Amino acid sequence: MNRRIGIVGIPPLAVIRKINADRDSIVDLDEPQLQLAIDLSSKYLPRVYCAILRTVVLNGMHLDLDRIYIDVGPGKCDCALHVSTILTDMLAIPITPTRNLDMESFGTPICRSNLPLLNKFLAITNGVQSSEPSTPHEPCTPTAGFWGVPPRDFSILSLFPDSTHVYGWTRCMENKTPAKLTLESYYNPNIPTVFFAQSFCAKTALARHLANQHPKALYLDCDVNAGSSARAKIEAFLELSGVQTSSRGGKHAAG
Amino acid sequence: MLLADFGTSYCKLLDTATSAKPRILPTRDLGKNFIADLATGHNAKRRSKRSMNELTALARGGRRLINKPDFVLLDCGSRDIKFIRYEDFEVADMGWNAECGASMGFTIELLSKYYDIDYSAVPIPESGFSITCGVLGMSHIFDAVVSGSSETEAVAKFVRGIARNAYRFAGTPEKIYLSGGLCDNPLFTGSFPCDIVPLGRFVLLEGLKEYLATNQRP
Repeated sequence: MNRRIGIVGIPPLAVIRKINADRDSIVDLDEPQLQLAIDLSSKYLPRVYCAILRTVVLNGMHLDLDRIYIDVGPGKCDCALHVSTILTDMLAIPITPTRNLDMESFGTPICRSNLPLLNKFLAITNGVQSSEPSTPHEPCTPTAGFWGVPPRDFSILSLFPDSTHVYGWTRCMENKTPAKLTLESYYNPNIPTVFFAQSFCAKTALARHLANQHPKALYLDCDVNAGSSARAKIEAFLELSGVQTSSRGGKHAAG
Repeated sequence: MLLADFGTSYCKLLDTATSAKPRILPTRDLGKNFIADLATGHNAKRRSKRSMNELTALARGGRRLINKPDFVLLDCGSRDIKFIRYEDFEVADMGWNAECGASMGFTIELLSKYYDIDYSAVPIPESGFSITCGVLGMSHIFDAVVSGSSETEAVAKFVRGIARNAYRFAGTPEKIYLSGGLCDNPLFTGSFPCDIVPLGRFVLLEGLKEYLATNQRP
């Protein structure tokens, strides 16, 4: 029907299948869709709030949408529950809260592939719009790990080697089981891993907890954009852990 | 080979082809076209042929100078604070705070010039201000002076607060190896509630030397 349907988080597969069957288009509101200052969202949300949900509100304010499905259950977060209330009061379109409890595993070939980490994340976040599993990829031997949600600022992903495996909620995204806590809590203790936390996200607690358990971990908290200190921490952590990074840094003297 | 640590306020330069000691130059006096062979610091990527991340340089410098299995090394710069914690000869934790630890060193130097204070002559106060940032912390000084404190007393409490904030940032260890220009400030070093081992201003240059030594081995 060519309607534009916004989604927040990962609505249940039944919802995605219906949108696809209706031939409507999906707009992922978790991702920046517009070149606008995120502070514009402060009309509806506090400035000190999860940057992903501030992005959702910013998108909702400025995109022409026909409906929004917002996941508010254990597969997303309590903050999304409150944002669903705000969106309902803010917009004149139907806002449908969902609670995705899907537990059928679709596999995680992209998370374990040798694709550049940025491409992995792009493929996984795009995959949310489909009810099909990821295309097959050969697994690679991991040399580093990235645990967490997709960051608001994807630029940090280019600091990692292609042999980085993805864990945490992003792995749950690819598996299409966003509420599967056992999968989200899984990490590989044999590889240096960055436990990424989006500032003010409830999952920061799990990120830090798992980082404390992991023998070679960096806990990293980032807000809207990753500053130079966050980037330097990742670079130093990988270098000092003996991880061979790519030559993308140009003349950078990797230790 | 010309090595450089391009700090915000001061640059530390070393020519490995001579036996001369490192020299310190105010950053504002650095020639426009100055280029180092290998460098670290804020301007390293722009002003050198090869650059090294500051945390990496700090970790390498600490390993070279301290050479112990377990230690915490804290670098207090003009603009930010960084720490590296080694455990069993491996980096176990690190941090770089450019926001909440902002402008500590710069503010401390600025205050000494503005109020004409010699930090070596100032006794360490028994209490200090609760400070997380050099810039925001200055309002405490103004409030204290308005309330009747001397300028020197107020600045001393400010410096103590800065030191305590850096101590918490480093994870409240029993002993800290300290890097940076504040090593020469007895009020600052004496305000930490733990053992302090000042290593001076050239720890990051040592990190660059360690990198050269490692990468020139056959």
